[in-house]
Amino acid sequence: MKKLLNKEIRLSASPLSWIFLAGALMTLLPGYPILVGAFFVCFGVFHSFQTAREANDILYTVLLPVKKADCVTAKYAFTCLIQLLGFLIAAALTAVRMTLLKAAAPYVHNALMNATPLFLAFMLLIFTAFNSVFIPGFFKTGYKLGFPFLRFGIVCLLLISAGEALHYFPGLSFFNAPGGEGLGLQCGILAAATVIYVLGTFAACRVSRKRFERIDL
Amino acid sequence: MNLLEVKGLCKSYPGFQLENVSFAVREGSIMGFIGRNGAGKTTTLKSILHIVHPDAGEIRYFGMDFAGHEGEIKQQIGFAGGAVDYYKRKPIKKLLEVTKRFYETWDDEACRKYLALFSLDENKMPGELSEGMRVKLSLTLALSHGARLLLLDEPTSGLDPVSREELLDTFRYLRERGVAILFSTHITSDLEKCADDITYIAKGKLIASEPMAAFMARCRETGVGNTLDEIMVHYEKENLYEKAAE
Repeated sequence: MKKLLNKEIRLSASPLSWIFLAGALMTLLPGYPILVGAFFVCFGVFHSFQTAREANDILYTVLLPVKKADCVTAKYAFTCLIQLLGFLIAAALTAVRMTLLKAAAPYVHNALMNATPLFLAFMLLIFTAFNSVFIPGFFKTGYKLGFPFLRFGIVCLLLISAGEALHYFPGLSFFNAPGGEGLGLQCGILAAATVIYVLGTFAACRVSRKRFERIDL
Repeated sequence: MNLLEVKGLCKSYPGFQLENVSFAVREGSIMGFIGRNGAGKTTTLKSILHIVHPDAGEIRYFGMDFAGHEGEIKQQIGFAGGAVDYYKRKPIKKLLEVTKRFYETWDDEACRKYLALFSLDENKMPGELSEGMRVKLSLTLALSHGARLLLLDEPTSGLDPVSREELLDTFRYLRERGVAILFSTHITSDLEKCADDITYIAKGKLIASEPMAAFMARCRETGVGNTLDEIMVHYEKENLYEKAAE
């Protein structure tokens, strides 16, 4: 897998996958739906799928001395690497916002979602949606990208909307406190989202491997 | 010893059927795989490589089933499907660097030798090369890891006569060292120069799979033809005007 990941990084990856990691910097933006940053991170990975398809990467990879299905696992490994980097950037900035900048006026009076553990949990759910909606959709054919990404886009929009709306529900405004209130609950939700991300990605990878094994290239 | 055994290979597509194709490639031999365009040569090769899934049939490499030994088998085979059609915008040097990491038996010296033999500049990108030069690059990748079996789909198409002759010399050199080569082509003169065995398919059906000398002798005796071109024309020429009128 190390060799395949090296191949993904050196040959298949679009520079945009790295550039769009900057989407995680949106975590610092006040008055902006910061979960869109997670979408941009995924959008960057989408570009690598597109670049790989145009470079005929799948045929090149399946002819290498690896199992055909490992081609799928390599795509997941690269995707998770980018998502992990995006998550770490967002987590570091969330920590900054919740400590050093917790009293900053733009965050105190922020009508939209503040950076909190709940935000990070939603970020992981968006990543899970990408891994379980877009990637298995792509590996149904090995070349169709549009509709799988559209389906992911719809799920992503719903998740962003849910994240933004949650703190407006009665009794849930504490979710949006800039310094973090109900931290125990929020961290519990983040832990649950991490479990969902890990299990969801593993399950989606298995489905994608099976689908890819079945198709004729 | 047979390095590749194909038994009863079947694959159906709408409008095309590959039916019960069987043949074996011996160690240290060159097998020509002929048939006109659309006869099923590429489908057969893709099925052998499991790029497409056969509906039926058995494929064994080095006495092993493909399933369960995929990585091990691919280490020992080289495939060149015509011109390099991937990563056309990446430098050849980078492509070689990434590819070689996958092969336990990659030979840098052999790679340099073939790059020099084929006059390939590794600082160029495949997209900057002509079709013929990309075929040579594809062969360089297939030949640089000491494969015991080479599966080549139209390797001489797009090559100039001198390069084709050099390539056939390379095949003969490899055969002497025990490498088996299966190559599909419709440039039949290439096969007449170097093939030991021949497998001929027409419209997805196996016409013959036997030693080249025996096949040619049989066709000469039965009046089918004296050359592979004549034999193919005998078996497959259709009257297009009659066909269009049907």
